[in-house]
Amino acid sequence: MTATAGVPRRGFVRPVTALRVGIIVAVLATWELVAASGLLYRDVVPSLAAIAVALYKTLSDPTFYFHLATTGYEIGFALVIGGVSGLAVGMVLGASKLMARAYEAYLYYLGPTPKIIFFPVMIMWFGVGAGSKIAMGAVSCFFPIALNVAAGMREIDPVLIRVGNSFRANAWQMVTKIYLPAMRYPVINGLRIGLGVALIGTLLAETKLSNRGIGFLVIQAYSLFNMPQMYSLLIVLFVISIGANALIGRLGGLDDIKRS
Amino acid sequence: MNSFAALAKTRWLPAALGIGSIVVVIAVVEGLIRLGPWPFGYPLINRFIVPMPSEIFLAFPRIVVEENVLSRFMLTISEALSASILVAVFGVAGGVLLHRFALLRQATETWVAAIAAAPLVLIYPLYLVIFGRSATTIVMMGFTAGVAPTVLKTLEGLAGTRRVLINVGRSFNLTRSQQFWKILFPSALPTIFVGLRLGLIFALINIVGVEFLINFGGLGQLINELSERYDLAGTYAAICFVVLVSICIFVLMERLERWLRPGE
Amino acid sequence: MAVISTPAKRATVSAEVADKAILVVDDIVKRFETPDGILTAVDHVSFAVTPGEFVSVIGPSGCGKSTLFNVIGGLIDGYEGSVSVAGERLSGPHASIGMIFQEESTFPWRTVIDNVAFPLELAGLPKAERYERARHFVALVGLAGFERRYPAELSGGMRQRVSMARTLAASPKIMLMDEPFAALDEQTRLLLGDKVLQIQQELKQTTLLITHNITEAVQLSDRVLVMTYRPGKLKRAVEINLPRPRTSEIVSSEAFGRYVAQIWGDLREEASRGLLDDEKHKLEHHQ
Repeated sequence: MTATAGVPRRGFVRPVTALRVGIIVAVLATWELVAASGLLYRDVVPSLAAIAVALYKTLSDPTFYFHLATTGYEIGFALVIGGVSGLAVGMVLGASKLMARAYEAYLYYLGPTPKIIFFPVMIMWFGVGAGSKIAMGAVSCFFPIALNVAAGMREIDPVLIRVGNSFRANAWQMVTKIYLPAMRYPVINGLRIGLGVALIGTLLAETKLSNRGIGFLVIQAYSLFNMPQMYSLLIVLFVISIGANALIGRLGGLDDIKRS
Repeated sequence: MNSFAALAKTRWLPAALGIGSIVVVIAVVEGLIRLGPWPFGYPLINRFIVPMPSEIFLAFPRIVVEENVLSRFMLTISEALSASILVAVFGVAGGVLLHRFALLRQATETWVAAIAAAPLVLIYPLYLVIFGRSATTIVMMGFTAGVAPTVLKTLEGLAGTRRVLINVGRSFNLTRSQQFWKILFPSALPTIFVGLRLGLIFALINIVGVEFLINFGGLGQLINELSERYDLAGTYAAICFVVLVSICIFVLMERLERWLRPGE
Repeated sequence: MAVISTPAKRATVSAEVADKAILVVDDIVKRFETPDGILTAVDHVSFAVTPGEFVSVIGPSGCGKSTLFNVIGGLIDGYEGSVSVAGERLSGPHASIGMIFQEESTFPWRTVIDNVAFPLELAGLPKAERYERARHFVALVGLAGFERRYPAELSGGMRQRVSMARTLAASPKIMLMDEPFAALDEQTRLLLGDKVLQIQQELKQTTLLITHNITEAVQLSDRVLVMTYRPGKLKRAVEINLPRPRTSEIVSSEAFGRYVAQIWGDLREEASRGLLDDEKHKLEHHQ
C-alpha cells in the first residue's frame, strides 16, 4: 500500500505537526509569562531557564542515578512479584468457573481501593527499607494484572484449548504454549496498567517514608522549596514512565494491532 | 471436572466458598496469634505486628465513636464527589472536543494517553504550595488523576460508533447536533461509563493517598494518625473501613449505571 | 415500461418514461481511486421506477450495487449523472427516500416503539401522536406487543423488522433496501420476504431492492434489473409477469423457474468473471 489516505502533504509542514508545535510553543510561552510576571507565588512557576539548569544538574549528578536505580529495582521486584502472582491467580480464576464465582468479585472491588492505606501495615511487616516499597508496588499491580489475565483467559478461543488437550499437553505446556501466547494482549495490557499503579504505589511510599529513591528526592526538593529541582525530577520521572509504558506496549506488539 | 462444573453452577456454593474461605483464614490467623510462642519458641504471627482479628473487630466501634468516622467519611466522600463532577464534566467534554476536531485529536491523542499513564500523583507537593493544606489540593489532585482516562474512553466510545448507525442518521438528514445527541452520544454511553469508573478509581486512589500523605482530610488522614499513634488494631480497623467504603462506592456506581441504561 | 440500457452507448431515460416515473436514475457513473488505480463501480446506469412498482437490482458480489444504493440514497457524492425523485433532483439524503441497511441498524438504547417513532420525533410530532402512529407501524411488521422491548431482547429477523418499521414510519415515497435479509437464516428470510411483499401491496409502497438472491428478486419484484460485474452496467431488465399475491404455488411454478433460470444465466457469466478477477487480485497481492 503506497498511497496514504488522509492528510495530503501540502506545502512544507503537515498540519498535525504544525498544530503540535503550536500547542507546545503556546504552553511554554504562557509558562514563561506566568513565571516572569510573578502572578503565582514566585517559585511555584520558575522560569524555563531555571528548570533547564536544574535538569542539567540533576542528570549530571551521580547520586541521582543511585536513587533512580533504587526506585528502579524496587519497581522491578514489585512487578515480578505482583506480576507472577497476578498471572497465577488470574489463570486459576479464568480457568475455573467455581473459583471465579467464589473469589473474583473480591478482586474486582478491592482493585479500585487506594493501596497506600496499607502502607503502615507494610512497614510493620517489611520494615522501613526497600521491602515495604516493593510490597506496596506488588500489592498495587497484583489486582489489575490478575483481573486482566482472568478476563483474557475467558476470551481464549476454546478451540485452541481443545487442540492442546488433544495433544495431551501437560499443565506446564498448556500454560507456556497455549494459554500465554493466546493471551498476549490482555497480559501486556494488564502489565501496562500494573506498571502505572506499581509506580504510584512505590513512589508514594518513598515520599512518605524513605531516604532513597526518586520519591524521596521529590519530597526532599519540596521540603527545601527547591522548585526547579522538583520540576526537573518530575520531568525525568514522567519521561521514563511514559517510555517504559510505550516500550511494554511495543514489546507486546500492541502498536501493530492499532495500525491494522 | 464434571462435578466441579456442576457445583460451580449452584447458586450458593461459590459464594459460600468465597465467604467460607475468608472466615477460615481469619480463624486461622486468630488461632496462630493466640498460640503465641507455643510450640516453636517464637510466635508464628507476632501480635505486635498483626493484631488479632477479634481485637480489630472490637476496635471498630471504638474508632467510629472516638474518631468522628462519620464526619471524616463525609469529608472524603465530598472530596471524591467534587473531583468526580470535575472529572465527568471536563473529561467527557474533552473527549467530545477531540472527537469533533479531527486535527486536534490526531495531534494530541497520544499525549493524553501518555498523561494517563504517568504517575501524576507526585505533583501533589505543587498543589500543596498553590492551594495550601486544604481540601482544594486534594480535590485538584483527584481531578488531575482522573481526567485523562475519562477523555480517552469518551473519545473511544464516540469514535467506535457503528458505521451503519451513523448512516441511519445521515439517511434521515440529521443536523450535526442531532447526529451527536441522538446517535453518537447514546451509542458511546457504555464506554463513557467505563471511563467515568476508571476516572473515579484514579481520583479516589489519589484522594485517599494524598490525605494519607499530607495528614489532612478524612479517612486517609485517619489511617495515618492511627498508625503514628501505634494503635495497631485501630489502624487495621480503619483500613478495613476504607476498603468497605471503596467497595460501596463502586457497587453504587454499578447500580446507578444499570438504572440509567436499562437496555443493556 | 421496460427500460434496457445498452452498454457501450451513453443511454439515458427518455422524457416520456421520466414523466410517469417517481424515481429516475439518470446515467450514473461513479469511480473510486484505489491503490490499484481508478475503479469504476457504476458505469452509466440508468433506469426509472414508477409509483407502486417493486424493482430489484441483482448482481454478483463486487458489481457496484451497494455503491448504487449509496448514490441513490444520497450517502455518496462525487458521481456523474443524476438521481431525481418526482422531478426533483437529489443532492444528498432526501426525506422521500427511506433506506434500509444490510447490517443491524436498530438503536440498541431505544425500545422498539422509540426506534420506530424516531422519524416522527424528528418531525416534531407530540408524544401521544408519535406513539400512536408508531404503534401502527409496529403492528404492520408483525411486532405488536413488543413495543416496550429493547432490540437486545429480539432476534435478528425481528430487529430488521424494527428497522423496516422505522423507515416506513417516515412515510417515504421510495423504499431503498440493501440486501436487508443477508444476515438472516433462510427460513426467516422467506418469512420476512412474505411480510415485505404484504406490506408493499398494502401501502402501494414504491420499492427498490438491492440483492444477490435470485429467488427473492423474482418472488418480490415487478421488474428485475441485472447488473454486470465491475464496471457495473445494467445488463438486462426482466419483467416479472407473475400474478400477485405471489403464493407458494406461484413460487414453485414452472414460470417462476424459467425466470430464475434466465436471470441465473446472465448472472452466472458475471459471477464467474468476478471470481476469476478476485483470485487474480489475491495472487498479485501476496507476492
